[in-house]
Amino acid sequence: MLAELINPYYLQVASFILINIILGVSIYITLSTGQLSLANAGFMGIGAYTSALLTLNFDLPIIVGIFAGTLLAGLFGILIGIPTLRLQGVYLAIVTLGFGEVIRVIFVNWESMTKGAVGLSGIPHMGREILNTLRGFGFDPKILGLQNNQFVFLAIFLILLVATISIITFFRRQNRSRVGRAFAAIKLDEKAAESMGINITYYKVLAFAQGALVAGFAGTLFAHVLAYISPADFAYHRAVEILIFAVFGGSEVIWGPVFGALFLTAMPEVLRFISEYRYMIYGLIIIIMMAVRPQGLIDVNILNWVKLKTSRRGQKHGTSSQKSM
Amino acid sequence: MRKQLKKFAQFTALSSLLVLSACGGNQAAGDEEGKSSGGAVKADIGVISYISGPGAAYGEAITNGLKLAQEEINGKGEVEINLVIEDSAGKQDQALTAAQKLMNSENVTGIIGPTLSTEMNVVGPEADLNGVPIMGTSTTAEGIPQIGDYVFRNSLPEALAIPAAIDKAIEKYDAKKVAILYGNDDVFTKSGFDTMKKAAEEKGLEILTTETFQKGQSDYNAQLTKIKGLKPDLILASALYNEGAVIMDQARKMGIDVPFVGGNGFNSPEVINIAGDAANGLIVATPWYGEKEDDKVKEFVSKYEKEYGKKPDQFAAQAYDALYIMAEALTNAGEADRDALRDALAEIKGFNGILGEFSFDEEGDVVMDPTVLVIEGGAFKEFN
Repeated sequence: MLAELINPYYLQVASFILINIILGVSIYITLSTGQLSLANAGFMGIGAYTSALLTLNFDLPIIVGIFAGTLLAGLFGILIGIPTLRLQGVYLAIVTLGFGEVIRVIFVNWESMTKGAVGLSGIPHMGREILNTLRGFGFDPKILGLQNNQFVFLAIFLILLVATISIITFFRRQNRSRVGRAFAAIKLDEKAAESMGINITYYKVLAFAQGALVAGFAGTLFAHVLAYISPADFAYHRAVEILIFAVFGGSEVIWGPVFGALFLTAMPEVLRFISEYRYMIYGLIIIIMMAVRPQGLIDVNILNWVKLKTSRRGQKHGTSSQKSM
Repeated sequence: MRKQLKKFAQFTALSSLLVLSACGGNQAAGDEEGKSSGGAVKADIGVISYISGPGAAYGEAITNGLKLAQEEINGKGEVEINLVIEDSAGKQDQALTAAQKLMNSENVTGIIGPTLSTEMNVVGPEADLNGVPIMGTSTTAEGIPQIGDYVFRNSLPEALAIPAAIDKAIEKYDAKKVAILYGNDDVFTKSGFDTMKKAAEEKGLEILTTETFQKGQSDYNAQLTKIKGLKPDLILASALYNEGAVIMDQARKMGIDVPFVGGNGFNSPEVINIAGDAANGLIVATPWYGEKEDDKVKEFVSKYEKEYGKKPDQFAAQAYDALYIMAEALTNAGEADRDALRDALAEIKGFNGILGEFSFDEEGDVVMDPTVLVIEGGAFKEFN
């Protein structure tokens, strides 16, 4: 019964949605201090290549690769964050886009290490490794009534789901903390924030590093879910794609990029039945969105409205239950 | 505000409807496979192709070739093939989800595609693990059939095409010194270069210099000036046709008149359209030659032209042959079973299609003789 419901196709799509949500969150963090960074594709590439190379060349467990890749991307985030502090708006966007391209060109030209444009294949696959490890303990997916590949993709999906939920929870909590308030203050007015005693340098670099860390993490997951990466995966197309998640969904609240990533990743799959026309519809929807809601689909007003609706319902339940008492 | 909310609600309702309609209707397809009452083998063959995006022309040629072959094969009545075509948009993740859909939701017996070698690197291992035979019709990079037992291809790999072209060029021009020029940021041209270098070393050619360029570059004078000074007998260029044609044009203007040897990506009539007379002297090896004196080829070309209003290219021809190979394997297997199809595919030997005589080696790679072509007087001609 359960086995019939679990279709690797849906799980695969869901996995890509979750990875894209993490990427969407990564650009949201830098945007929440008012910095438009397009380096996230580059950070993603650093994470992916680090983890892939470590697991391929040194037979390290995937989890070590994921940690190393994430941390290295975060480190690069600090390194890039400090010198670009003085830049704002479009200038920052240009510099960070340039950084992403530099990273890609390094991957292309460092052939002894990265195999150049041909890319790295045979990267350990997260789900298959888990299956093999569990088999070592005498576990068989058949106990759960699952096929091998169903189990593989279910495992990936669950891991990604836990990771995504933890990341979103963390940043939601951070938003309500001292750090989040500082971010918001910097976004509204840097000078005013500084005069209120907020350490702008610290918080801006912090946001940049957090964004890089999260993007790097998404990159490592990408490498171990797809099992093949090439420099072309981290070109400016990817940077723009990530940006579109935030632009489409809205960058005011964290649910904006989350929804953007969810909708824009699921869209081409849902529209598969019209095959070659699906990207036309995709483009059309984005254009309509830009015209109707330039601030993105989800903003504070929408969230308040949703809250109002749900709380009203809650109140009704509340009163009725009181009566029954 | 209210109005916008209303719109938003309508939009959500519409999109959820779309989700529902897309989810339904997929489940029933796979059950009634196997033999139909008439004795013909009925099979669903999945196709993953590059139908939307910058490389959509490849996908169009491939699906056209497949549809033409499907019509003919189903007309004969021995096999009844149902094509389930999915788009990959040239992206690995899209190709993978398309493959998952075909393998798990549509329950196809075999898969043809995907279009690019990068996509095959992702899809191949998954299909192999699931035990679904998969055959690339345009994946020419190294190591594709070596992914696994279930992975095949009928596209002439660069490892066969480039050495064949170099051989003939050496024979004719008595070449000893070569210069190599390649695009280093593209999977296709980079792996073509690796093959060229290996072939040149094996044949004892002296490599004077190796120059690189990037995708979309428009000025090649620096590289060409250097090459001109070294006076090579041949220039080996691993380039896609858009860059390759510009390179030839600039080389001829500079006074470099030695022949060029190109890879599969250089092999396109577009080179002649872009470079004009400067394209003369380009030597390429190809599995497909549309002017061949062969009844099957002539019939295919005229049918294709009638149906789609243009001449078939190598992608259409390879896809056309691929479906015939699938059909023959299905006939031999006698049932629409994935494992039986894989075994039957591996057995294919001496298949006679429009590309010439074709066999799989033990790894599922291609065994065939490529045709070497040269551009002379503004047209591709057989090179002897």
